[in-house]
Amino acid sequence: MGVSLRAIPGFAVATARLFGIQSAFSYERMLGIGFGHASEPLLRTLGERDGGTPYRAALARQSQFFNAHPYFASIAIGAAVRAELDGEAPERIERMRAALCGPLGALGDRLIWAGWLPACVALGLVLVTLGAGGWGAAAFLVLYNVVHVVLRVWGLRAGWRAGLHVSGALAHPLLQRGLVIVGPLAALAVGAALPMVLGWVVRRGLAWSFVWGHALAVLVGTVLFVAVLQRLRARLSGLGLAMVVMGAAVAGGVLWP
Amino acid sequence: MTPGDVLGVTAVGVVVGVDLVTVPQAMTGRPLVAAFVGGWIAGSPIYGLLIGVVLELFALETLPVGASRYPDWGPPSVAAGALFHPGPDGVFATPFWPWLLSLVLVAALVAWLGGWAMDAVHRANGAAIVRRTAALDAGDPRALIGLQAWGFVRDAGRAALLTLIALLPGGFVAQVVADQWRASPGVAENAVLVAAMGVAAAAAWRLYARGKTARWLVAGVGAGLAGALLWA
Repeated sequence: MGVSLRAIPGFAVATARLFGIQSAFSYERMLGIGFGHASEPLLRTLGERDGGTPYRAALARQSQFFNAHPYFASIAIGAAVRAELDGEAPERIERMRAALCGPLGALGDRLIWAGWLPACVALGLVLVTLGAGGWGAAAFLVLYNVVHVVLRVWGLRAGWRAGLHVSGALAHPLLQRGLVIVGPLAALAVGAALPMVLGWVVRRGLAWSFVWGHALAVLVGTVLFVAVLQRLRARLSGLGLAMVVMGAAVAGGVLWP
Repeated sequence: MTPGDVLGVTAVGVVVGVDLVTVPQAMTGRPLVAAFVGGWIAGSPIYGLLIGVVLELFALETLPVGASRYPDWGPPSVAAGALFHPGPDGVFATPFWPWLLSLVLVAALVAWLGGWAMDAVHRANGAAIVRRTAALDAGDPRALIGLQAWGFVRDAGRAALLTLIALLPGGFVAQVVADQWRASPGVAENAVLVAAMGVAAAAAWRLYARGKTARWLVAGVGAGLAGALLWA
């Protein structure tokens, strides 16, 4: 089928539905319901065939278990819809869906959750410390979501173009380049953000002459915190230990004689 | 805070709360954004931004990966941003650092509770899917739309509840703690900063201190130290 995805009725609705793919997230089907919901507008053309039987069968198939990174699930949706409209055998479509879960999940975790998101957050923090104020938060949102939105839309179209041969889309040069760059970028940005945030927060709350002593105390405390957390890692998250530290400080501060 | 403020903050809490998982995952629920908006509603965006920056250090640890349980920072950040502001005269009625510490602790507790509440929403979604299995297997699009819509409603209810918990009882408890504070404010300052920096540093260490990214992390810390001395 050489039809452009844009020419398929329902393309705009399907694209919008990609953003709510996790609305009915459950442990039984994970993103499956959202997958079917986003596919549905593109599958409507099947409703004109054989009294709508292929449409309902395709919809039931696309609503089964699916798990991947939510942004990259659009690649699988595009590919699955293309395979359905091309009349591929149901077993092949189901195998493709199952095979895509792991790679799309791993790609999104590395590229977005551990890379692009912390990099953008850290950049936003740095901008705030440099005096950008609320514009730092706005810059974070815009920068992050340019990639977010492009990935969702590109993924749907890349999956549509590739159909059952969708694994090739994962080898796209930009994705591969992104994987190489995003880790160091995030490490650099997060590393830079931490001291700058410390300096900025301390100066907001204290007179300038007190900054150095307090900054040093916080630095020593931070090293101790990380060391304790490393030892307790299996039993306690960072947030858990932080709540213990802050809870102890609150108790001490209130009960101080 | 007027009932209108409570309503406004709760509405924003719902928007940023559903953003985490349900729709659209645009990261409006990150504390840097959510607390700033909360502060803006309360008329003090700069202090909203300040507490948002502190809460963002905690949130750096959060990777919203798959079905794992993780804190929801959005609703408590909006509430904390709305609560952390000086009086009309520009002076804080309660000691600055104890007030910040108690609000951050409340936000952390509510964020942690939010992870459990999200788990409950996912289980409720699962139960609803089981009830609609026959319709789903028959390829009924109305079943899909209904499940998606009710999933959204459940998550919106969860987000509203979390925002109200952080704002009303949470705000009250934080106020009592700050008012009753007897130790040096430096204790509160060191506790909140050590906890925030500790969580962020541990997350950075876990994610980037091995392999090729390690030297970039070191370079970043060096650049950040220089930047802190020069500008921050």
